[in-house]
Amino acid sequence: MCDFYNRELSWVDFNGRVLDEGLRKDLPPLERFRYLSIVSSNFDEFFMVRVAAIKRSGEDTDPKALRPPELLDRIYQKVRAIVSRQYEALVGEIFPDLAKGGLTLRRPNEWTDSQRNYLESFFAREVFPLLTPLRVEETEDLPSIDGYSLYAGFFLKAETAGDEDEKPAENCISIIRIPQALDPVIFLPREKEDYEDEDMGQVYWALLEDLVETWGSYLYPGFKVIESLIFKVNRDADFSVDEQRDEDFIEAMEEVLEGRGRSMAVRMVYSPGSETIRDCLAQRLSLTEKDLFELKGPLALKKIYDSIRGYDHLREKPWKIYPHPTFTEDQSLWDRISQGDVLLHVPYQSFDPVVRFFQDAASDPAVAAIKTALYRTSGDSPIIRALEQASLAGKHVTAVVELKARFDEGRNISWANRLEKAGVIVVYGLARLKIHAKITLVMRREYNRIKRYVHLSTGNYNDKTAKLYEDLSLFTAREDIAFDAGLLFNMITGYSSVQAMNRLVIAPTALKRKLLELITREISRSSAEAPGRIIAKMNALADPEIINALYRASQAGVKVLLNVRGICTLVPGVKGLSENIRVISIIDHYLEHSRIYYFSNGGAEELYLASADLMTRNLERRVELMFPVLSEDLRRAIIEGLSSYFKDNTHAWLLDSAGAWARLEPGSGEKPFRIQSYFHSMASKAQAGEFPGSSTDDFIVRRSPPSKE
Amino acid sequence: METKNRLVAVLEIGSTGIRLLVAEIFPDGRWQEVDRATKPVALGRDVFTTGQVSRESFLECITMLKNFREFLRSWLIDDSDIHAIATSALRVARNRDVFVDRVKQETGLMLAIVDGIEENRLMYLAVRFALKNDWPLFWRANSMILEIGGGSTEIMLLRRGQMVAAHSLRLGTILIDQAARIGTPQGQERYIIEHIRNTSGFLSSELDLAHVRTFVIVGSDAAIAAAHVGSTLNENCWIIARDAFNEFVKKVQNFSIEECTEQLQLPFWEAKTFIPGITINKLLLDRTGSAQVVVPKISIREGLLIDLAQGVDPALQEDFFSQIFASAVNLGRKYHIDESHCRHVASLCMSLFDALVREHGMNRRERMLLEVAAMVHDIGMYIRAAAHNLHGQYIIANSEIFGLRREELDMIGNVIRYHRGPLPSPTDIDYIALQREERVLVLKMVSILRVADALDKGHSQQVKIKAIEKKGEILVLNTDTTLDLSLELMGLEEKSGVFQDVFGYKVVIN
Repeated sequence: MCDFYNRELSWVDFNGRVLDEGLRKDLPPLERFRYLSIVSSNFDEFFMVRVAAIKRSGEDTDPKALRPPELLDRIYQKVRAIVSRQYEALVGEIFPDLAKGGLTLRRPNEWTDSQRNYLESFFAREVFPLLTPLRVEETEDLPSIDGYSLYAGFFLKAETAGDEDEKPAENCISIIRIPQALDPVIFLPREKEDYEDEDMGQVYWALLEDLVETWGSYLYPGFKVIESLIFKVNRDADFSVDEQRDEDFIEAMEEVLEGRGRSMAVRMVYSPGSETIRDCLAQRLSLTEKDLFELKGPLALKKIYDSIRGYDHLREKPWKIYPHPTFTEDQSLWDRISQGDVLLHVPYQSFDPVVRFFQDAASDPAVAAIKTALYRTSGDSPIIRALEQASLAGKHVTAVVELKARFDEGRNISWANRLEKAGVIVVYGLARLKIHAKITLVMRREYNRIKRYVHLSTGNYNDKTAKLYEDLSLFTAREDIAFDAGLLFNMITGYSSVQAMNRLVIAPTALKRKLLELITREISRSSAEAPGRIIAKMNALADPEIINALYRASQAGVKVLLNVRGICTLVPGVKGLSENIRVISIIDHYLEHSRIYYFSNGGAEELYLASADLMTRNLERRVELMFPVLSEDLRRAIIEGLSSYFKDNTHAWLLDSAGAWARLEPGSGEKPFRIQSYFHSMASKAQAGEFPGSSTDDFIVRRSPPSKE
Repeated sequence: METKNRLVAVLEIGSTGIRLLVAEIFPDGRWQEVDRATKPVALGRDVFTTGQVSRESFLECITMLKNFREFLRSWLIDDSDIHAIATSALRVARNRDVFVDRVKQETGLMLAIVDGIEENRLMYLAVRFALKNDWPLFWRANSMILEIGGGSTEIMLLRRGQMVAAHSLRLGTILIDQAARIGTPQGQERYIIEHIRNTSGFLSSELDLAHVRTFVIVGSDAAIAAAHVGSTLNENCWIIARDAFNEFVKKVQNFSIEECTEQLQLPFWEAKTFIPGITINKLLLDRTGSAQVVVPKISIREGLLIDLAQGVDPALQEDFFSQIFASAVNLGRKYHIDESHCRHVASLCMSLFDALVREHGMNRRERMLLEVAAMVHDIGMYIRAAAHNLHGQYIIANSEIFGLRREELDMIGNVIRYHRGPLPSPTDIDYIALQREERVLVLKMVSILRVADALDKGHSQQVKIKAIEKKGEILVLNTDTTLDLSLELMGLEEKSGVFQDVFGYKVVIN
């Protein structure tokens, strides 16, 4: 019996749970398709980063770990099982259901003559000019195959109808990159016959990759296509910038981005059709049989899903996003925050107050400075625009940009350049440490003094993902937090070395130690009569020291409730080790993303929100931020929500001591409880003013100054 | 007094780093820290090994200071509210004037070099502030305030709250680290012990260290100890029991730098000097009779801030002047002055000063300087009666009096020099080294001191002035004595010439 699960296997299990959501027959087909597409893109990332690392290391990556070869075998075994269930459901259930709903995918063998004609002329007109054939030569380097695009491969035979003197050319293989610029889906025009059919209103669509595979032969005059397939390669993306090169960090980063196109191949997925091409590519890419995944359906599900717009009757009705009840148009944001801390729960509540925080700061003449740490943000972000404006208006604007945010580097470099042009002081993170904290500080001149407003969040400053990711954030004007926030910015902008803080807890300097202290304190305050209680919610739990501390807590009788969305290497429910620990995972409509840490502390409850998961890399190799919720009302509300997660019996999974996850079902006589619906209805009620204290019509009598809350 | 809040920045260039503090000052003299930043730079290492700031550190400092300027922009702080000071390392650096000039050219910051005694004064302000309501409790007994820096050690000794000595010694953690680098840990300890023996021997001539009941240590080394084994005395001070402190030192004394960084969570640049620093603290504590160590959470930056915030607080200023005077008295005692004579002369000076305010136009601080000069005017007698005015000037030039800047000590030296004998001549180098205003002040003080000294020529304190009257060109000193004043009258005849030249009055005793 091992004290820890393997983290990679735990991650694969998580993706299995995502797939399971997509297998629910009670969901509309496009919703199911969405989950399946997430499974695919998750796996792509997993192979590019984790599997690549294991393959490269050849040494132990886990404490009492499996050796890499065995580990890889176990990973592949699990992944293959999941992928085969995924494609079975895709081809067997979801495509038929979509067709029933009026959205029919037609593969080449199903094209009618008129469809074929349409697509062929479409291909000739729109696609063909963008294609470049790349011949795979025995003696030369393989043409560049990047890790992001789909490729079509052709096995060609020279047609010897011509001159007999000419030596018959040998058979050869050529590949074509399918242009990323084109939509992967082509919607077909209605056909006359449709009107006579019963299925009036049917929409047919075809795949770009099918077009390329069907008419790619146009690029090879004089050759005959014997076999063909579509394939995609996952390459190692887990390497980092040479940070010694401080002076030209951006350039170094750009080189890394280019380098990703040439790094080690880790996996190839492909459609059936040509063993010749498959074997040739595998050999040239140094992939073995087990690295090859044959998929009986389209390969790039995420891109296909993204290009199907509309068809709302095939999706779940979008959940209403409610405006935050306490921020009103007629009251200044600053006044409201000065009255007391405000909590925002996205996407149940709208992300707008955060955007407004930046926009108001930019346009308010009294604001002197804005400092922000942006980990990732959306490409066309209103926040970036607000920062630009603020700087152009002469304000002191500092933006800490994390170029090392994986897969977002390219995007980050481009908006960082924009900010610099506008005069913003752009700080490109720290050497060797990723800045993962999300925090903004606004300094405003009020009555001869500078007052500071802080926004602290568990999630990114990204208005797009804030509609999909569940996160908590806090607006505050408390001086003690503002002071620490100032220190944090001084540290990450290079004005200062590390300094001690009172309220905020920062990784890598203090966070892990603080968490261990909090767990130890919980143990010391726990007794048989009044057992201690730890409730925590995070995306991943994998740090051995933290887990061992939680085991000790369990052994001391502390009740530990964990809500871990993804990786969990802690083994719960083992007698003598972890019998007081319960681990659940919620996979539902919104992506659970907030990190919440609660300690009952003998009655003097403490609650923290954080940007950090409990993984060693978060605690030791990133700048992360954990902040306390000091307002009594808000703390109560969050604890209430946090505890309610453990009542979910429709979208929750329970981890057992053998490492298996089982979906929780309502027991007989039990009512179904779905936590995300619960939060949704809470947000609706809050907006309607049904909660005491949240209504703006009520008199809120304060018996102590708001800043002392 | 200020009428509204203002923001100030205090920037200190020390021997291990540059530290910045932003504070809001309220109209009532209170203040609150609102931001702070620290960057390490090894100026001390440079200066204490090579005598000057290296090119690398120089450039590093300029970059940091530019960054701090940029940072202060977010606080909208006026240039006039940025107070930049430099302490021990830069103070002794050969290239300090170039440094100060470059900083001004590159960053616009006007860097003030704070000398050791001024550092003491700011430290005193800060400690007093930190102790707040616990002040009486701690100052009823004898006490010692100690701060060990990279290049210097500031020590203040107080007898029942009265300053008896203030010193800035060239003994610092970086110096020790340098000196002991070649040796073993034992060698380093022996080196420190030797230093402490010399230091405490010389301190004991001013105050018996065994009678020190309150031992106050300022600085990061003590703060680390306090964070581990101390308890809270008030919001600005920790307190550590002597045994706990000793035990802590014993535990950490053999730590390597790596252990310091790991177990005590010290940044590397502080860990290097931590062991020598804490060892000196302990060795000095051993020589006192103190049962506990008080560790205020303040630094010279807070002292400067208090100075800025309080402006001229009359009560505090009087207290401060009395500390300066007490320190001067103690210096006099060290050289066995005739204390009753000197006190009497000082008091006569004050009577004359106060009667002639309209004529001399000197301010409160100059009054205090005159009082100090009068108190130590005979200090040169310790060496030899003949030319004791010259010896006195020499002793003052090489002594420290709490709260007085170097220039002020130079003025006092000159006052002593000319309290008898020939008046200043254009060849007196120490005199012409003074600023023009200072020379005028010296002459005014000399003229008063000469009269006062003459009035006690017999060292018998016979002349007690009851009232001073101005009758035309005559200043009449009314005394009620019936004793023989012939000696005093003779002295007056001999020494009041300058007075007449300066103020236009002839002095007459009635």
